[in-house]
Amino acid sequence: MNPEDAAARLHENERKVLLALEGRGAATTQELSAETGLARDAVEKASAWAETKGVVSFREEVSRSFNLTEEGRKYAEEGLPEKKLLELVASGRNEISALKEEFPSLNIALVWVRRNSWATIETGRLTLTEEGLAAKDEETVDDALLSSLKRTSIDNPDEDSMARLDQFVRRNLVGEFETVTRWVEITEAGRGLIPAVKRVKETRIITQITPEILQNGSWKGARFQEYDVTLPVPSLHPGKRHFISSIIDYIRRFWVELGFKEMTGDYLELSFWNFDALFQPQDHPARDLADTFYLKTPYKGRLPEGEIVDNVRRTHENGWTTGSTGWQYKWDPEVSARNCLRTHTTSLSVKQIAKLTPDDLPGKFFSVGRVFRNETIDWNHLAEFYQTDGIVIGEGVTFRDMQGYLKAYLEGLGLKQFRFRPGFFPYTEMSMEAEVWIEERGEWMELFGAGMFRPEVVKPLIGVDVPVLAWGPGFDRLIMQSYGVDSIRQLYGNDLGLLRKARLWME
Amino acid sequence: MPVIEVNLEDLRELLGKKVTTEELRDRLPMMGTSWEGETEEGFNLEVFPNRPDLLSIEGLARAYATFTGLEKGLRRYDVKDVGYRVIVEKKVEGVRPWFVTAVVKNVEFDDPLIRSIIQMQEKLHVTHGRRRRKVAIGLHNLEPVEFPVTYTTKPPDFKFRPLGERFEKNLTQILTEMHTGREYAWTVEGFEEYPMILDSKGMVLSMPPIINGEYTRIDEVTRDLFIDVTGTDLKAITEVLNIIVTTFADRGATVYAVENHYHDGSVLKTPDLRHKTMALDIDYVNGTLGMEYTPDEAAGLLARMGHDAEAGETLTVNYPCYRTDIMHPMDLVEDVAIAYGYDKFVPEIPEIATEAGEDPLEVFSRGLRNFLVGFGFQEVVTFMMTNPDKLFHRMALPVEPITETSNPKMEGYTCLRNRLIPGLMEVLASNKHHSYPQNVYEVDDVVLLDPSTETGARSERRLAVALCHARANFSEVKAVLNSILENLAVEAEIEEGGLDCFIEGRRFVAKAGGEPLCWAGEVKPEALEAWELEMPVAALEMNVEKLLELISS
Repeated sequence: MNPEDAAARLHENERKVLLALEGRGAATTQELSAETGLARDAVEKASAWAETKGVVSFREEVSRSFNLTEEGRKYAEEGLPEKKLLELVASGRNEISALKEEFPSLNIALVWVRRNSWATIETGRLTLTEEGLAAKDEETVDDALLSSLKRTSIDNPDEDSMARLDQFVRRNLVGEFETVTRWVEITEAGRGLIPAVKRVKETRIITQITPEILQNGSWKGARFQEYDVTLPVPSLHPGKRHFISSIIDYIRRFWVELGFKEMTGDYLELSFWNFDALFQPQDHPARDLADTFYLKTPYKGRLPEGEIVDNVRRTHENGWTTGSTGWQYKWDPEVSARNCLRTHTTSLSVKQIAKLTPDDLPGKFFSVGRVFRNETIDWNHLAEFYQTDGIVIGEGVTFRDMQGYLKAYLEGLGLKQFRFRPGFFPYTEMSMEAEVWIEERGEWMELFGAGMFRPEVVKPLIGVDVPVLAWGPGFDRLIMQSYGVDSIRQLYGNDLGLLRKARLWME
Repeated sequence: MPVIEVNLEDLRELLGKKVTTEELRDRLPMMGTSWEGETEEGFNLEVFPNRPDLLSIEGLARAYATFTGLEKGLRRYDVKDVGYRVIVEKKVEGVRPWFVTAVVKNVEFDDPLIRSIIQMQEKLHVTHGRRRRKVAIGLHNLEPVEFPVTYTTKPPDFKFRPLGERFEKNLTQILTEMHTGREYAWTVEGFEEYPMILDSKGMVLSMPPIINGEYTRIDEVTRDLFIDVTGTDLKAITEVLNIIVTTFADRGATVYAVENHYHDGSVLKTPDLRHKTMALDIDYVNGTLGMEYTPDEAAGLLARMGHDAEAGETLTVNYPCYRTDIMHPMDLVEDVAIAYGYDKFVPEIPEIATEAGEDPLEVFSRGLRNFLVGFGFQEVVTFMMTNPDKLFHRMALPVEPITETSNPKMEGYTCLRNRLIPGLMEVLASNKHHSYPQNVYEVDDVVLLDPSTETGARSERRLAVALCHARANFSEVKAVLNSILENLAVEAEIEEGGLDCFIEGRRFVAKAGGEPLCWAGEVKPEALEAWELEMPVAALEMNVEKLLELISS
């Protein structure tokens, strides 16, 4: 780079520093601050940049300095307590019990008087030694140090004075401070740039283009400060959708494009819709308190009117006209009226079927919503999560059709290697699991269940036996996989750091 | 769902074939189980609750043999009858009414069989047995038993020597002092007398479903067994008996029938290992699966699932007694599909013309979410489940009636939110280490009590914004509301007042048509302190359903 360009690339402050260093050796940043009129941290910043460009060298020197503490200052004024004690004893007041009353610093003084061998104690009385008598009248080393510290701090002390200072530091009379002095020195390369820098100084340099500059035309003939375009800039945090919510939008659009109509509904559900209408017997383990949140308030609801409840009852008890044997037990409406938090959005699907008549068929419906499980929360389990349910109802829909819709769904989520295998759900027959191949783990991971609703589910709701394809994928695992989040709690943690950095869902 | 441990060598011996782990790992999931990983001796396998017959290695081997073509069709079981009799007294009716039994002889009680039987018994007790209440199984050494055996009840002070104990104990002691007694006491809670099985000498075989007697202890020289199954559901206990007995039969045991004489004069002869029969239309199979199998093909596939089927337009399917899950012809259709292979169907999407569309409230909510991003706000997604501490106490709000769960496992999750702002406060409280401003929003549902609905509660869509930075204040949050309303061409009147979580004189309710639409203000320092926030927060919450109503009218 030629010197003109190199000089132009320097920041204004770097140029000021360089000029200030002309013709001298190392200077402290303090001195440079005085010379350039820049604040000391501006000088330091400029020097650090300039060092990366090789025009100055920059080094730090740490020095230790010692200053009186508040207590130390007090003794510097009044004298050390041990000296005071010497005077008191010399004046005849040598009885310790009496001294206790009139001399508050007695304990400290005693420690040092004894350590210096200035006095002996016998039967509660102090007697000065020869050293004590001598010390009383002369200025001791400690006194000298104290008065010197009173005038000014001691910087970088030698070993001897350090030993004395150490005692004062331990007595908390002196505090130690570190001062950093930063030295800047111009390099050969820097010296070579000086003429160019001087020339730059004569041209006007514009950093920020302002409205004034544009209005008065002063930019004409000026030079624009050149920037190091590789330097980092502060990051922005724009407003953003939460990625989960974006993915839900995507799933919604996906089903709509395949011709599905949305079902929505409440989170609180009668056990009737959540379980009974799905042909789950009333003693089924999935209905246990261990898995399902039941409600204290409102404890129970009203079973729907009309024949559906009776159809469901009979189907449970003996199969009704569905061609099934049923579960062969006495069905209890009270159990069915108990409120719970829906454990799956499949409850919306059965309610939808119950609203249809045979004339409304065929139909395709989907839902996306939260479901609840009474889980102990850990990295792998949450009490609530999202599910998307879909049903296709109509004469002639088949098991192969179900595989077709789910294949489209999985491909829509960008999955390539997946398979279908037999599964089990109390309310479907065929029951199926969709699994995806996880390369890193070398195994199949269960993604979601699907199936054809049992005739015992469908007929009581709509009055005829018609095939219904149904599926209920959760998608938390897929989001975790896609966003590289390894704990499900983190997924719902709303950590702004994660949300600000999360890549946009662009589908 | 139950998971069983399978010993690979046992399975190979039962199959008479050196199957590899790779093959099993590939094929077993396709048969309708879940592979749960290899173990030192074999592997773990999850068995679906509708197939309790697979809970023993014998049952698993039987199914796998036909599934992979090593065997074909229905396995038949003989039951001999030499006149064993048991008596079921009326006293058990209100306690534990059902009792079925069987005798098996010439059992080769080697280690693998014992392991398999104990595992199956445990798993059946948990699943089918609903922790022994609905079904409990007892296995006894047949040798000391004098027939007829009687199933009756005895008072709490009745004594016998329970299995594994050196001395007699009375029934109360068993239920309160012994480990298994305490564990299963709930199954007989509230009864004046407890179920008891005795032989004709008055010796105790068992106190079901708690513990057996020492009298019929099984040891390594035991060859002949008496099996009892008691419970509250005749169908379930009969099924379980069949599953157990066929497991022994698969190991070469001979099965003997027992007549169970009930107090009303009826006699149940068990076990009944005869197959059952169901008709299956080939059109139903093909229509459901979207296939064109011939009756012969369908019969062949059914044979792979252990059934015998006579081909015809309507197939006559003989299915084994242990297949308790077959309630409807659809269950046989599933077997055809499994035998064919779920991975072999060609997926297709039918052309069914239907009216598509999103819920209008969802469309509107999405519009709002995208609009709020334009303000530079970050969307958050918080939990609906929370607790009164977060909803009220930390918000300096009075407690209001809300939906509450009766059996929460975690303190943090005892009720459903009736407001969004507390969730936003929680987000702010957990992000104090990140840079400010932190302006966040959420558009989602809250749940409110409402006696007019089926359940007594309903959800309501809300929108909430929380502005949190050093200069967050009333005017800023009011400006946000104004901008939302202006852009939707909605007008509202502002009135002083509203929620107690806001500072008095710096809060308002925006009303439309006299009804509240939005609550807003500066959050009280008391609430900020409770959330340990040292940054001011101004917030608003509005009723999105009401808003949609206003713009639609």
